Amino acid sequence: MNDCDERQILRATALMKVFGEGDSQVRAVDGVDLRVCAGEMLLIMGPSGSGKTTLLTMLGGLLRPTSGTIDIGGVDITAVKESQLTPIRRTSVGFIFQSFNLWESLSVQENVELALNMAGVSGRAASSRARALLEQQGLGHRLKFRSRNLSGGEKQRVSIARALANEPRLLLADEPTANLDSKHGREVMHLLRDLSRTGERAVVVVSHDQRIREVADRVLWLEDGRIKDIGQLVRDPVCGASVETDTSVTLEHEGRTYYFCSRGCSWEFQQSPERFTSGATPAPATP
Amino acid sequence: MVPVARRNLFAEKGRFAISVAGVAFAVLLILIVLALYRGFNRTGQTFRDLPGQLWVVQRGTSDPFHSISLIDRMRLATDTQVPGVRATVPVLARSMNFDAGGTQVSARLMALDVPADLASGDLRERYLPPEGAVIIDDTLRRKTGLSTGDTARFGTESLKIERVRPRSPEVLFQFVWVNFADAQRIFGVGDVVMYGMVILEPGAAPQAVAQAIVERDPGLQVYTKEAFAASISKEMDETFLPVISILVAIGFIVGAAVVGLTIYTATIERTREFGVMKAVGGSGGFLYRIVLSQAAMLTAAGFVVGTLGAWGVAQLAIEAVPEFATDFQLADLAGVFVAAVFMAVLASFMPVRRINSIDPAIVFRA
Repeated sequence: MNDCDERQILRATALMKVFGEGDSQVRAVDGVDLRVCAGEMLLIMGPSGSGKTTLLTMLGGLLRPTSGTIDIGGVDITAVKESQLTPIRRTSVGFIFQSFNLWESLSVQENVELALNMAGVSGRAASSRARALLEQQGLGHRLKFRSRNLSGGEKQRVSIARALANEPRLLLADEPTANLDSKHGREVMHLLRDLSRTGERAVVVVSHDQRIREVADRVLWLEDGRIKDIGQLVRDPVCGASVETDTSVTLEHEGRTYYFCSRGCSWEFQQSPERFTSGATPAPATP
Repeated sequence: MVPVARRNLFAEKGRFAISVAGVAFAVLLILIVLALYRGFNRTGQTFRDLPGQLWVVQRGTSDPFHSISLIDRMRLATDTQVPGVRATVPVLARSMNFDAGGTQVSARLMALDVPADLASGDLRERYLPPEGAVIIDDTLRRKTGLSTGDTARFGTESLKIERVRPRSPEVLFQFVWVNFADAQRIFGVGDVVMYGMVILEPGAAPQAVAQAIVERDPGLQVYTKEAFAASISKEMDETFLPVISILVAIGFIVGAAVVGLTIYTATIERTREFGVMKAVGGSGGFLYRIVLSQAAMLTAAGFVVGTLGAWGVAQLAIEAVPEFATDFQLADLAGVFVAAVFMAVLASFMPVRRINSIDPAIVFRA
């Protein structure tokens, strides 16, 4: 049993989703196996129509797979009734959406509070927790604002606070930076990475955004519904970027392999390795 | 709890106002129709208010307004010998036109020949004018413009308005209380009267007395005062109740349709938001409560506005049409409230079905 066995949050096995019948049959997701552990941020990339969103929808318990199993926190959600899925989605999964999906008639605080109300938390307990979550997101001054009056970045942070309201161990994010400018997109990326690192939770992100590769622990490539592991990501000891072990510039130093995003970083490392070797151990790979 | 229903409704204030107006109109329609029915149904109350417990009429007389009863007053005199009868008061009554300052007005003339020992101050005040005078009510005053001291011409007799009583509940006809001697001259009936109003001894059983009167004179028929009054409202029930039922049903359908359409539209508009609620773990019950709360708030607002509106319309109508008789009863108000609650529940049915059909996976569609 390795570290991830103990800290496993999500496991999908032989997951398949078929739409249509006969000649018009489409295998949107075809035999996907994946596992995500606490503290990990998994990025799923792939071209449009590759099945990314279908996969995420199934992982969140919003769509039944044609076959295969999905285990979230020890519960096989493909084996439970629809009515049992609702509380699982409420407490075990947090959703972050491309178009934010905030409740526009409600204030910022109410958006978070409502998620708590759904879980049976109400009154002062709900409002103080909602406030605390929003303050953590730097939105303490926006509590009474109507959500429609916020900027895109603020909306996404409200969406993240709402996703965290019931302390789920799994966060599923669908193109979380797609509707944001680069500055806010970067903020959200780092926020998601921090959420995976600091808490006992895992983050699965579906995105086209190449920038997210910098912060993801692992990247999966989905094409025609099938997953291809495009490599273990490790940190460049010089610039801190995440780089794929398969395609990066490598350098052996004192019996260890170091990976760099470019020859420039590699050259800088060679000038004075002692500056970069403390804490530059490649990130552990996840099988 | 976050007031989602209220926020959703008030997010579109214009639509909310229009919807409240729609429900209010339905409530107003139902309440006004019911109040009119109650008001009209009080016709005949005069016979309940008069001191007689029994009314003696010529056999075959169906009701006081549409049937002629002619009795020789000597036949009534024998009724006083029936045990339990304190007095039998001869009554003259007839609907007729009279001249009110050049305008012909229809009214029902009534005259009581109450023995002096029974003519209390209250009876005199309400029903027994002195010779040459009449008592009218406020409705007739407003219809005719007559007031105390004016003169009106009844047939060949000119009679002075002795006093104007407060508005009576009679809708079909306004009563003009005439002195008995004047009535005899106006009607030209001599010793013939229309009815005998029987005043019973304390403790006498009305049914037994009625039976004894008929046994003594089979040409007579005896009604209790309730039955005599009810013979008028029976006609109202038979004529107006079906119409009123249809109007109330229309009001109910209009109200339910307005609430239903509003909530349905609000649900359709927020399909995605309801989808998000489902996705993030909102249970069916949680979502239904939102829809039901929206419907309940809309209906409650419409009920309050409609009730106030109905009362206002009734006041305005009375100003314009003096005979407009409405009687708002608490029981009717409670009934309309229950109907409104039912309306809200019924109106929520379609939106709830819509919510059931929302696929929570909608949240991942851009």
